[in-house]
Amino acid sequence: MSGFGYAVDTFAAWLAGGEPGWLAVSVAVLAVWVLPLMLLVFPVAALGQILERKIAAAIQRRVGPNSAGLDGPLRFGFRLMLFFLPRERQDRVFKAFCNFPPVRSILLVSRRLGLGQLAADGIKMLGKEDIVPAGADGMVFRLAPYLALAGAFLPFCVVPFGQHLVMLETEVSALFAVAVSGIVVVALKMAGWGSGSKWSLLGGMRAVAQLVSYEIPIGLAVGGAVLWSGSMDLHAIVGQQYEPGVFSLLGWNALQTPFLAVLMVVFFVAGLAECQRSPFDMAEAESELVSGFNTEYSGLRWGLFAMAEYTEMLLVGALLATLFLGGYQSPIGEEWICSLAPWLEVPIHVALLGAKVVAVYLLMMWIRWTLPRYRVDQVMRLAWLVLVPLCLVSLFGIALTLLAAGGTEPGEPFGRVAARPRAALGWLGHLVGWAIPVAVGAWLVVMAKKKHGQVHPALQRLTGGRS
Amino acid sequence: MTLDASTPNGERMTLNMGPHHPATHGVLRIVVESDGEVVATCTPDHGYLHRSIEKIGECVEWPMFVPYTDRVDYVCAMNANLAYCVAAEKLLQTDPAATFTVPRRAECIRVLVAELNRISSHLVAVGAMAMDVGAYTPFLHGIAQREGVNDIFEKLCGQRLTYNYVTIGGVAFDLYDGAIDDIRRFLDQFEREMVRFNKLVTTNTIFRDRCAGVATVSAKEAVAWGLVGPNLRGSGVDFDVRRDEPYCVYGELGVQVPVGQAFAGRKGQVGDAYDRYVVRLLEIQESIRLCREVLKLLPPSAEKPNDPIGGIQADVGKLLKKPGKGEIHVRTEAPRGEMGYFLVSDGTKSLFRVRCRTGSFTAAGIFHHVMRGIFLADVVAVIGSFDVVVPEIDR
Repeated sequence: MSGFGYAVDTFAAWLAGGEPGWLAVSVAVLAVWVLPLMLLVFPVAALGQILERKIAAAIQRRVGPNSAGLDGPLRFGFRLMLFFLPRERQDRVFKAFCNFPPVRSILLVSRRLGLGQLAADGIKMLGKEDIVPAGADGMVFRLAPYLALAGAFLPFCVVPFGQHLVMLETEVSALFAVAVSGIVVVALKMAGWGSGSKWSLLGGMRAVAQLVSYEIPIGLAVGGAVLWSGSMDLHAIVGQQYEPGVFSLLGWNALQTPFLAVLMVVFFVAGLAECQRSPFDMAEAESELVSGFNTEYSGLRWGLFAMAEYTEMLLVGALLATLFLGGYQSPIGEEWICSLAPWLEVPIHVALLGAKVVAVYLLMMWIRWTLPRYRVDQVMRLAWLVLVPLCLVSLFGIALTLLAAGGTEPGEPFGRVAARPRAALGWLGHLVGWAIPVAVGAWLVVMAKKKHGQVHPALQRLTGGRS
Repeated sequence: MTLDASTPNGERMTLNMGPHHPATHGVLRIVVESDGEVVATCTPDHGYLHRSIEKIGECVEWPMFVPYTDRVDYVCAMNANLAYCVAAEKLLQTDPAATFTVPRRAECIRVLVAELNRISSHLVAVGAMAMDVGAYTPFLHGIAQREGVNDIFEKLCGQRLTYNYVTIGGVAFDLYDGAIDDIRRFLDQFEREMVRFNKLVTTNTIFRDRCAGVATVSAKEAVAWGLVGPNLRGSGVDFDVRRDEPYCVYGELGVQVPVGQAFAGRKGQVGDAYDRYVVRLLEIQESIRLCREVLKLLPPSAEKPNDPIGGIQADVGKLLKKPGKGEIHVRTEAPRGEMGYFLVSDGTKSLFRVRCRTGSFTAAGIFHHVMRGIFLADVVAVIGSFDVVVPEIDR
């Protein structure tokens, strides 16, 4: 056991063909941790930018990127492959290849989707001048984007992608994920301070105030899931949500008690704030602070910040799915999928987690292109006066539910995750556990609407209602 | 809401907002002295877009100044044309020798294009305000609707931004064939579109909370600082030049004037940023109604262009060659408030003095007063709520 997790151990043992030495372990760490991150998360985050531009265009009734196809990268590839031929010959071969009907239609589709924008943007960013402003604190300024990216990437180490696909398995992986993502706070502060610009400074200050505040609801929401599952190990939390039978989604945390569902919403909202996404994007509010903490960045360094933001969005999606939506488990027929052979089971599970992450991702984009931005004081008020009390009430509710269950029953073992005791609620208990909080919540909402929900008649007329 | 900017040692940061800042709509420069996030003082600095338009007016002949009025406020060029032409006509008519009247059809067309342009101008205003508050999408939806108006104007006079359409004594062209259908169709779909827009932005809780109670201007203050137009009405002052000093055919249309009434509910006050914003939206609704009304009044086109009913252009050519002496100030209601022209004629072909009074100028004058003690994030929202267009400030 090298202490680097199950996947590394197995891979190193396979490499060495017995007890692994340090070389095998290093190679295994590179192959199991670093490579998948680079190969999976980077392209997905980059694709996310294209996706975002397309979605924004759809919401705003534009077309979006629709000209850059894969022709350019392909031509570049041909040039490399046929370096021994003169240029005209290369082009002729390339043209012939492009006119081949299936290739042609693929190129056409890629152009409509703007896929080439990925390469174009990357090359543009590489080619831009790397500016360090005269008044900047050079080292702090240069270091910040790498730290931001590290803070966004590291938590992926503990996210279980499949039954056999966890990079780092520890007993405290939930805590690890929350703690490590705190590096981003330092990075943003460094970027804001090191740039030597007032806009950056204000952006950095806002970012720190916001991130530090929203780490509390996030921590409490994670705490709720931990309390319910009785474990801090993310993989164990996923295993806890396993439910045999056809409707395996009945075992998901979000459907256990309404309090966990509320915590999921809190986690999502606080997660939005953690990634500096709209409506909490006040740290890079373009209409106020030009671009906030990354105003002075250019070229690849700016690109790293952008990548960090999209990676963090992926992270929020992955953690949300893991903690509340059954992780990589399928909503139906999980029992059947987890009994498949690993080579079949792993891709299915990774795809399922991916689908959940993308769903959260799309929701974030939808919100971003719909809602205005909160003001500084409103952001803080939301965190401390709404989210934190909600979390505390929910934690209390979970504790009460656990108490009312009056005991535990043995759960099912799930893959390598041993069986864990779960609250013995029974179907009647579940029903009551849902009915009471939902009724109380609905009553509160109705009362609040009655008291504060009046809309001025002029506004009613504007929105098409009767005045 | 006003906060106190009070750092113990008086440590404040001077922020140079503009002239190149994404939220200042062009080249407005605002020097903000801030105490952290709270604005302590705020000084607008104008003059980056000064083009001596008033001086040009003294050097060119009367009708040659009309294209320059487009550039005074390019977001609502029709209204700017109209303001100058109405003033010039009134000045000509002070001469007892002048006997012309502007044809009724021309007057109706003037009101029609002015109201259409008011719609498109207010669309930019409300869209830009939403963008300043952080919602980018509504701005583009507003611009998409503005395109509808621009298309109609392009067919009408060949231009999409600076129209040079209203002339002294009438309008340059008659309505094209099918213009009335185009306008009716646009109004119908636009009315539906505005309902969607309002559901998206206006009643949005975040948007309302952002604007409610911000930069409140009381009715007394608004009058004292010389605010005009929607900014004045947003403060609850019931005044509209179209209704109270009617020109063209506005007198027959019965213009309804919306005023601010603390639309934001318990968090809002009369005269806050949200009221100014909602007043603009209500004016859009009113403009839609006025367009439909004036289409009913529109007399059919006559053969002779100077026909007093169905014509489009009165005979003023001779008068303009040798106008009488005199001076006059005439105000009209442009989207950004009263646009008044003060013209002095010394009996020569070109005016002796042209002075233009615009709504954005007075709105920019109150900035330093209302922006004390608000959050930095609200500075842009306040600029948006007053709807300043920089060329109108500097001219």
